[in-house]
Amino acid sequence: MLELRGVSKAFAGPVLRDVTLQVPKGCLYGLVGPGASGKSVLLKLLVGLLKPDAGRILVAGEDVTDLDEIQLHRVRQRFGFLFQNYALFDFLTVGENIAFPLRQLGLTDEDELVRRVAERLQAVALSGFEARAPGGLSGGQKKRVGVARATVTRAEVVLYDEPAAGLDPVTSQKIFDLLAREQREAGATVLMVSSDVARLLTVTDRVGMLYKGRLIFDGTTEEALGSRHPVVKQFLHGEPDGPI
Amino acid sequence: MSDDAEPEDRPRPPPGALAGLGLGALGLLRAGVELQGVARRTVYWSIRGRRARGVVLRQCLEVGNRSVFFVSVTMGFIGMILVFQSGLQLLRAVPDLQMMGATFLEALVRDLAASLTALMLATRVGAGIAAEIGSMVVTEQVDALRMSGVDPVNHLVVPRFLASLVMTGVLIVWAGAVSFFAGCATAYFMFGVAPRTFLNPMLVDGGDLLTGLTKCLAYGAAIPVVSGWCGLSTFGGSEGVGWATTRAVVNSSLAVIILNFFISGASFLVFPP
Amino acid sequence: MASPTDRSSPPREESLAEELGREVLSVAAQAGGMTVLALRLLRRLFPPRVDGPELLRNLHKMGVRSLPIVGVTALFTGAIMVIQAGVLIRRYGADGLLGWGAGFAILREVGPILIALMFSGRVGANTTAELGTMTVTEQIDALSTLAIDPLSYLVLPRVLAMVAMLFILTIYGDALALVGAAFTGQGLLGIGARTFFNGLVEMVKAWDLINGLIKSVGFGVIIAVASTYYGLSVTGGAPGVGRAVNAGVVASATGIFITDYFSTYILR
Repeated sequence: MLELRGVSKAFAGPVLRDVTLQVPKGCLYGLVGPGASGKSVLLKLLVGLLKPDAGRILVAGEDVTDLDEIQLHRVRQRFGFLFQNYALFDFLTVGENIAFPLRQLGLTDEDELVRRVAERLQAVALSGFEARAPGGLSGGQKKRVGVARATVTRAEVVLYDEPAAGLDPVTSQKIFDLLAREQREAGATVLMVSSDVARLLTVTDRVGMLYKGRLIFDGTTEEALGSRHPVVKQFLHGEPDGPI
Repeated sequence: MSDDAEPEDRPRPPPGALAGLGLGALGLLRAGVELQGVARRTVYWSIRGRRARGVVLRQCLEVGNRSVFFVSVTMGFIGMILVFQSGLQLLRAVPDLQMMGATFLEALVRDLAASLTALMLATRVGAGIAAEIGSMVVTEQVDALRMSGVDPVNHLVVPRFLASLVMTGVLIVWAGAVSFFAGCATAYFMFGVAPRTFLNPMLVDGGDLLTGLTKCLAYGAAIPVVSGWCGLSTFGGSEGVGWATTRAVVNSSLAVIILNFFISGASFLVFPP
Repeated sequence: MASPTDRSSPPREESLAEELGREVLSVAAQAGGMTVLALRLLRRLFPPRVDGPELLRNLHKMGVRSLPIVGVTALFTGAIMVIQAGVLIRRYGADGLLGWGAGFAILREVGPILIALMFSGRVGANTTAELGTMTVTEQIDALSTLAIDPLSYLVLPRVLAMVAMLFILTIYGDALALVGAAFTGQGLLGIGARTFFNGLVEMVKAWDLINGLIKSVGFGVIIAVASTYYGLSVTGGAPGVGRAVNAGVVASATGIFITDYFSTYILR
């Protein structure tokens, strides 16, 4: 469903180096790695928010690397995206934030919009929050509104950038369970980036690990947990001594 | 891992003088290309885009409310300074100040009202636009807009552009009037020039009006486009927003000064005195 | 984190008088805050308690950063002054007066003011952003807990560097503005550079130049105090930094014109 072929990207220094990765349809894929290893950049490359310096990017078999902003609209409609900093629009209420992607898809039936928004808010356990302003929510609530917005279009692919960063352990586990349940119910392809490895691995089908801009591991969750690669082993088990 | 220390990880040596100049020129070129992209999309969406009612009106209020006090104070002081200073100088050359008001009014209409007010608006409105849009970039709201298929230029720059086109003109006329009457009062109290003598539109002709009007439109269009571009190219966290705001102030002030040079020059050639 | 209820009730419509009153109070509070900051900085000057290396670093950084922008502004400003004066010169056929008219205006008013405005946009705004970022990331608090006085260590060097640099940049900018004026006089009005500079030297007095430079010191103090004050009083993350920069440049511009008005009376 999602494919990167030899993708490289640099800002001030190199961020991704020759990354090749496939995410099969319907898979819940977890991408891990230490801070600043290029995980968020990889997500933004997939939807064309950033352009790679080299390599190709394919979505459902279609090469989207060189599409312009207007052609990308069509591709992005297949995606839902939860941003690391929530990215809730502060000029809209919670309800309007969730309805925003639907309105942009051309849905104008107000009753239908209200119904869809209420259904999403219920799914993230925030019923009745429609009229709130995003500025007054707690971090966990903002994340959940972000999840509601990312999933409201019932997109084929959903990308989650650090869905649990900065949350307490209980809220964090609840978010992961919520995302896994959403994925099972919708049958979507999910690519999830997180530094919270322990919780992430409880829900993933496959795992990839980025280290210094390179993909050093790609396999099933079981394979990952049993990996003998020194970096992967140290990172997944949180050992203080090792190459990292 | 053994290939830890890859060569590209090492810090590069600082570029030499010539390379620095070349990098500077390249940066300037890239900035120019980006800026004209934003300008083109702004014009395109202004004509083609649909907007919810009231969006532009709200921005008009925002621009007006934010600036009217500030421009009135600064332009009032400018009027007083200019009349006082030129009065002192004129008295050295000519015995009476009969024509002072007429000359002042002509200068206001042709240049000073528009250019000085626009400089103030570049500071006030330009910095505000860049701060707002820059904050939305670092909190990924702009990326979220793009994900939903919305061009951030259409959603964020165009309403401010249309509001600025209208409000810059309105504020310039208002600030020019404040400046003129402040000058009029100064002339009366400092040099005893009667307001009736001072209020003399004799020297203002069609060319002056046309030049002033052109400047209103040019500045009104340039300030939101330049500062919108600065806001959209924000990079990094809160420091990035500060940088974007700084760049917006400098670049839109510079845009006003450069536009003033070209419009004034053209007007001097088209309407020779 | 703010409580979730604080935005849920719509703000009550305010009457014009209430709004005006609040505005006046907040302007007064800010002016007062700046005065207090200025006094606290002044106390650290007698005897001077300022971090030397930080001062040099800031002088260098501010000078290098603003040279191009001040240069471009000055050249164009000189040119614009000649275009505007050209109308009057043509009308009265007084070629010899161009050097005087443009030179007087540039040295005494337009040069110092425009250079100060650009300096405020470049260096002042940058200082606000820098100090503001340090404030929101709690670096200023960290200094205080280490028993380092942030005013001596961070603020005073920047303030002194700004005042000194604006003075130097005004001399540089005045010179470039006169060059721009001379070129435009030649190109647009056909008045040779020799006639221009003759008029300038004969009729413009040294006092006009000094007058402008004295003002530039006043503008420097205004910009320095305003920009550091707004930098130190930032609240509310990245958007707060943007708002502070905005408020800082606006306060600087207002201060510049008010200072100019009074100094024009005092320094005739």
